[in-house]
Amino acid sequence: MTTTTQETPGSGKNRWTNFFIVQAWLVLLLASFFGAALAGIQLTLAPKIEANKLNETLEKVPELILGADAARASKDSGQQMEINRQYMTAGTKTYSVFKAEKDNQTAGWVVKASGQGYADKIELLVGVDETVNTITGLFVLDQKETPGLGNKIMEPDWRRQFVSKPTHLLLTAVKTKADGPGEISAITGATISSKAVCDIVNQSLNNLRQPLAKAASDKKKPSEKQQEKN
Amino acid sequence: MNYLIDIMLIAVSAALINNFVLYYFVGICPFIGVSRQIDMAVGMGLAVTFVISIAAFLSWTMTTMVLIPAAPLTAWIGGFFMSPEAAAKIDLTILSYIVYIFAISASVQFVEMYVRRFFPALYKSFGVFLPLITTNCAILFACLTIMSNVSGVDNPADAWDLGRSLTLAFFGGIGFTIAIVIMAGIREELDFCDIPPALRGAAITLIVAGILSMAFMGFTGVDTGLKNALKSDSAAQIDPKPIPKDESPLTSVIIGETDKKEWS
Amino acid sequence: MADQPTAFERFTQGILPENPVYRQLLGLCPVLAVTNSVQGAMTMAGAVLFVLLCANVIISLIRDLLKPHLRIVIFTLTIATFVTIVDRFLAAYMYQMSKNLGPYIPLIIVNCIIICRCEVCASKQSVFTAASDAVGQSLGFALALASIASVREILGTGMFFGFRVLPEMWPDWVIMVLPPGAFLTFGLLLGAVNWVAARKKG
Repeated sequence: MTTTTQETPGSGKNRWTNFFIVQAWLVLLLASFFGAALAGIQLTLAPKIEANKLNETLEKVPELILGADAARASKDSGQQMEINRQYMTAGTKTYSVFKAEKDNQTAGWVVKASGQGYADKIELLVGVDETVNTITGLFVLDQKETPGLGNKIMEPDWRRQFVSKPTHLLLTAVKTKADGPGEISAITGATISSKAVCDIVNQSLNNLRQPLAKAASDKKKPSEKQQEKN
Repeated sequence: MNYLIDIMLIAVSAALINNFVLYYFVGICPFIGVSRQIDMAVGMGLAVTFVISIAAFLSWTMTTMVLIPAAPLTAWIGGFFMSPEAAAKIDLTILSYIVYIFAISASVQFVEMYVRRFFPALYKSFGVFLPLITTNCAILFACLTIMSNVSGVDNPADAWDLGRSLTLAFFGGIGFTIAIVIMAGIREELDFCDIPPALRGAAITLIVAGILSMAFMGFTGVDTGLKNALKSDSAAQIDPKPIPKDESPLTSVIIGETDKKEWS
Repeated sequence: MADQPTAFERFTQGILPENPVYRQLLGLCPVLAVTNSVQGAMTMAGAVLFVLLCANVIISLIRDLLKPHLRIVIFTLTIATFVTIVDRFLAAYMYQMSKNLGPYIPLIIVNCIIICRCEVCASKQSVFTAASDAVGQSLGFALALASIASVREILGTGMFFGFRVLPEMWPDWVIMVLPPGAFLTFGLLLGAVNWVAARKKG
């Protein structure tokens, strides 16, 4: 810009307008046209995309808390479950926590937890009951483990082992048949992936057990008192 | 300390485990085209590393300052026309791809001018590759990865800062250089081999790349091991006792309820 | 302009003689990355068809107004816009697929096929020719993706399009759906195409 003004000022300005408006009018016209098109797309599709992102997790919540069969039954009978998302900071991590309420009572919690797997990050949903004593379900949201080996963590049969495990125990993946209270039998050939899942569950529950139990009892107390009065 | 470990894991993962070329397949075109001689490959790799870092800086800045909802610059400009609450909701992420591709073109132009002006020797060694880089997928891929880690995270506290983004980009570039230099070394030897005519050129390069990619799969799991070696506190500190029913100090802060949904 | 190929020639050339993947070696990044399942590969091909068709038509409409030094800027702007549109559509209506394809949909922006067709055909020829060129090239691209994806999916998982085609006892060649499988399959198929082409010529 400074170089054009240093030359003869009048012609410099002419060249300036020549350069930008005349030469780039097509670019500017196209840019405004495309901008309008994108704005239209954004207005129509953005709510839908947001809903998709949220539904991905929300759809799983009833199943993780009630179990697959009970969730289907409750859906068929038209029962409603209200789900609230909140963020909880515990230790050094912040977790997304979904609180499920049924008939105005806490039915359970679902925690979104992630950690390092064998190949990449593993993202899990862990369901626990309302008093945070037992695990009610586990779901793998995202993983990039080896197909055929590590990605068996997604299979329902393997995930079912976690159901009704107590939260205060450290879960360990064992290569033999699991018979101890906190033991999960590891997938053959994918011990690291199995261990990683156990570790993520352990760490998130250890961090969140106290805050969640506290939050549950806080919310419960007023309603309990009301019931006593009645 | 945690931050340093994080940075190290990102670096190892970008350069070796999830190598841009051999795992994500980005930057294949120069990988096949330019990897004939080692010195050319080194030049190309350096040019990519250089540009990718600058583009990562630009795209991180643009994403956090302008594109995502509640970005400071957008909110400030929007504040002149509407209420601050409305301005904080402006979401320009739909423009991100356009912004990135122009940021990449601009940084390539800028780097070319700067290097030609101030480092003529350097320009001679890798200047010719610079214009080619604009269409190198690796650069845009790095920008997109940074975007998904800044705006795509579920939890605002997990969003990447500038340090993590630059680490990913720089070591992604290093990974690209490693892959392309190894490939060039192999191809120099391949020239003396008797290859069936149909496989000459790109086909044999791809097959060799497949074997290289298999070799790089051996790095999988290195980051887990590294992490466990560096911090051994995660599992050890877990308290195996059941929680006392009363009087547990609340360590958490509930930031806010953001989404409600009726599930039926 | 007399020796410019006609619309029909453009269309047929794209499919085999000038196949963008096997003959021109363009746009290899999605070819390798999304071909571990046929479904993903076909979605990718559809996205490329949409972007290439729209970009070719628009560029061809404004071809007389293009200035040489602003040409690339206009190409990039057009392509980036249509890629954004297709990306949002996938996220809204095929969410799981868009999650699987991840960054490879936005990477269409730097896919050399599209900018190359804009330069070679659309900026010189009429709208109809440009459109048929876009369809031909996209079909060629889809064909290449389908061939690689079929080999990888069938050998790697014993399935095709999500249905089991090989018997249960088939030991899945896991390597085929992993990154090395992409390089090996494409390298060998490329060799086979070269071999057939050489035999035809000789």
